[in-house]
Amino acid sequence: MAKKLKEIMTESGQSLEFQSGGQAPETMVDREVKKEPHPRVKKLKDIYMDTLSSANNEFPYWYSREYFMHDGEIPVVRRAQALKCAFSHLTPVIYPGELLCMHKAAFFRGSFPMPWLSEGYYMAKEDEFYQEALERGATSVDEHSKFGQGGGNVVKSFGKVVSIAGKFGMRQEEIPVLLELAKMWYGKSVDDLGHKYEKMVPEYETKEKIMRNIVCMFDSGFTLPQGREVINYYYPLEYGFDGIIAIAKEMKDKVAGKADGDGMVGMNRLYNYEAVILAIEGVQNWISNYVKEARRLENLEEDPQQKQEYREMAERLEWIAHNPPRTFIEAFQMIETLHMAVLNEDAISGMSPGRIGQILYPYFEQDIEAGRLTEDQALELLELDRIVKTSIDCFASMGVVGGVLSGNTFNTVSVGGLNKEGKSAANRLEYLILESAASNAMPQSTIALLYDEKLPEDFLMLAAEVIKTGSGYPAFMNNRVAQEFMMRQYGPEGMNVVDTRAWAIGGCLETSACVWKPLHVNGKEYWIPGGAGQPTSVGVHFVSMPKVLELTLFNGLDARTGERVFKAHDKKLDTYEELWEQFKLYWQETVYALDLTNNIQHDVWRKNNMAIINSMMKPDCLDKGHLINELGYRYNATFNVESAGTITCVNSLAALKKLVYDDKKVTLDEMKEALKDNFGFKSAREINSFSLMDQEKDENSGKWDELHFATLQAPKYGNDDLYVDSILLDWENFFCPDCQNYESLYGHPMYPCQISVSTHGAMGAASVASADGRLDGTTFADASMSAYPGTDRNGPFALLNSAAIWDHSMSQNSQLNIKIHPTAIKGVEGSRKLLDLIRAYMRKGGFHVQFNIVDSKVLRDAQQNPQNYRDLMVRVAGFTQYWVEIGKQVQDELIARTEYEGV
Amino acid sequence: MKQENNIYRDSRNYAPIDVAKGMDLRTKKIVLADETDPNFELLPKCKNCVNFKPDSEKIEIGTCEASMNDPKFTAYPDMVAVTCAMYKEKK
Repeated sequence: MAKKLKEIMTESGQSLEFQSGGQAPETMVDREVKKEPHPRVKKLKDIYMDTLSSANNEFPYWYSREYFMHDGEIPVVRRAQALKCAFSHLTPVIYPGELLCMHKAAFFRGSFPMPWLSEGYYMAKEDEFYQEALERGATSVDEHSKFGQGGGNVVKSFGKVVSIAGKFGMRQEEIPVLLELAKMWYGKSVDDLGHKYEKMVPEYETKEKIMRNIVCMFDSGFTLPQGREVINYYYPLEYGFDGIIAIAKEMKDKVAGKADGDGMVGMNRLYNYEAVILAIEGVQNWISNYVKEARRLENLEEDPQQKQEYREMAERLEWIAHNPPRTFIEAFQMIETLHMAVLNEDAISGMSPGRIGQILYPYFEQDIEAGRLTEDQALELLELDRIVKTSIDCFASMGVVGGVLSGNTFNTVSVGGLNKEGKSAANRLEYLILESAASNAMPQSTIALLYDEKLPEDFLMLAAEVIKTGSGYPAFMNNRVAQEFMMRQYGPEGMNVVDTRAWAIGGCLETSACVWKPLHVNGKEYWIPGGAGQPTSVGVHFVSMPKVLELTLFNGLDARTGERVFKAHDKKLDTYEELWEQFKLYWQETVYALDLTNNIQHDVWRKNNMAIINSMMKPDCLDKGHLINELGYRYNATFNVESAGTITCVNSLAALKKLVYDDKKVTLDEMKEALKDNFGFKSAREINSFSLMDQEKDENSGKWDELHFATLQAPKYGNDDLYVDSILLDWENFFCPDCQNYESLYGHPMYPCQISVSTHGAMGAASVASADGRLDGTTFADASMSAYPGTDRNGPFALLNSAAIWDHSMSQNSQLNIKIHPTAIKGVEGSRKLLDLIRAYMRKGGFHVQFNIVDSKVLRDAQQNPQNYRDLMVRVAGFTQYWVEIGKQVQDELIARTEYEGV
Repeated sequence: MKQENNIYRDSRNYAPIDVAKGMDLRTKKIVLADETDPNFELLPKCKNCVNFKPDSEKIEIGTCEASMNDPKFTAYPDMVAVTCAMYKEKK
């Protein structure tokens, strides 16, 4: 019987599914805290749970029809005309019981393609355009990405439903027009035009090899060009849509025909204001169509309560289509509408609502005081909002939606933090947000708690209780560290300490620039925070550190494919220092090539596909008359370099240093041979599984047993061991400042972003074995500060010490996931222990920590019996997702993580 | 105008939940998209519009004769047209 990796790791003293600090009970233990939502919410949630991810062509049809009618028009106006037409023609759909309405497309969980961004990935396979697209390096990642096989993913075609990209269902009747529209955009999309011009970059060939061999996970400019940012609802809340149109008309009169000293783009202000007016009119038409539908349903309805709800819905929508909201529910509906409007404007993941508890508080406070609203009604609306946000899908390729996002779209809500005066910003509505996250536990909105020592103890204890539901949220982010990062990155653009306090999380955990604006509700002024920065997690996406190390060891060759990616360095790598220096050179070559080519993609995007709705909402576009593409945002230094596989790479460097250079137990050539031979294990492809648990030893091979054992026993990150932690420190002290050597298309230096999302699965699948003992094709350690499964053996505080060895404020973020057994934090005492653990990390300077409170036995059972676990949620990287909607390789990595039995 | 099969996804009495099913707005029951609707009420779709001209060379593709594009823009019979100002039902 062939030995499994799990057994071999156990023998080496580093078992997968390691239980640290005690022994879990033999029986399965459920999560301690379980709550139920309001009955209305439960009914709609039940619908969601049985809903398929669905797509249609309504929006792209009307967008394309209008766009192609205006050949020769100024690009921004042409795009606004197309957007207006598309919004005006979206079919409204309202479900009984909804209080907050309006959907992306005419489905409960709908989305649609945007061929003006990219069209090749969903073309029919026999189509010549698809074949041409296949030759591009960027499509390699789709082969290494897997969706979960359950939940709402349409993984296979059935009946009259066609599966697209393994996730979206589309009616068979719509496939011909899907292809017809895609062909219209061939050669014109951001993807195609960007490709045409990126080929002119001298480093283009290197970039293609980088993409083909999954050194980098995906392109930036045409995949998800916006997002990982915080939206700003201020202007519509303050002025209403009619008010914004009035401002734009007034500004048009002021700027028409004038450059005002700006000979480059000063004249563009006229066209930009015109575009804003057109786009808003489109959104108003969209709302008005919902008004008509609500009225139609009111007339059809016989149930008096439902009839009244339709009537009130129509009245609310009618009001907010033109005016600033007056009440909590009107304001909530308006931000919901704006959110969907922005998401329909572009392919976006991570458009975070930000601190909605503080944005909606003025309405909440006044309604409660006036007796128009009860806390229970507010809680019900917050629960409903979680269904709305969880239903948001983004139509993109398998590699992007599956391999990176695991189907999540990261509409993160932030709570806590500080107010403009530097005091705790937590308010009563934020307590209700936390309660709703427990009573209606769904993947979105994920909650980010902006931790500060000034936050009230009962607020933090409530957050600990929510964590114990097993939802994976709230994640804790360090306010002090974030403010320091803000000053470092945005100080040169004029950010001051007061505005650093307005920050929030965009996307899963991207620290995002925000500002304070004065909101007036019924004559009272409130300062509310909102996004003021461009998208983040744009620029250079997910560079695989273990892959760069592999290329360093194999003299520029990809050991898996045999393809030459970089020019041979021809160094002997006789010393660790020489290895380290060469690793850094290849890293820089990778980032440089990706920076240049992705800058071109984004530049094409900004010329033809610029944001209009999102832009007009962000300070200071309306004031300046410039949109995102002309640096209209307050903060524009938002492009970054993303690393992946940090800890796998650090552990591998430590093993090489120890075994090859310090102890000389093995030569570098022998180590390389062992890596290519996968330490005598069958290849993941051979056994057709990339999961950690399934890896099998080749019975006939014992050649590398001793070495593999030694690599597993080499020093590992997460144990407060300076031998390996100092390598992490060296990496961070190189990587963080090095990012500033690369410039975005907006002329600003880049910065580091250290999250993995789900890339540790797909990137691991494309990498040979590594010197830390990890096998070919298996996942890397998740996140950037999480230990590799089973290797953190000295307790949680040792892990925290390892993670906090470097200055986290040099980076936009860092990410640490910890798995804890429910019994370890049982009761109030357990909640306090959990809070103490979090505080300890924050005080050490750690930026982020989040928890999976789950018994690994439950996860194993869920893998065997997925039909019993439709609503089981887990924390993957920076987000929560339904267990059944994530791929098996990531599921196995989650099961294998160390489970803490005590804190 | 009566549809051949009077299925839900061609009926106004239906709120699509996803590509396979939706809600009967009278009974509030979840129904299959291709099931017959006993209370069928014609949903405006391009295939029911006088402006839709099928393309004999292609499947599920035609042109919208009301479009202002030159040449006339593509249309597809299954598209919902409740928001289209140019929709004119075939008699």
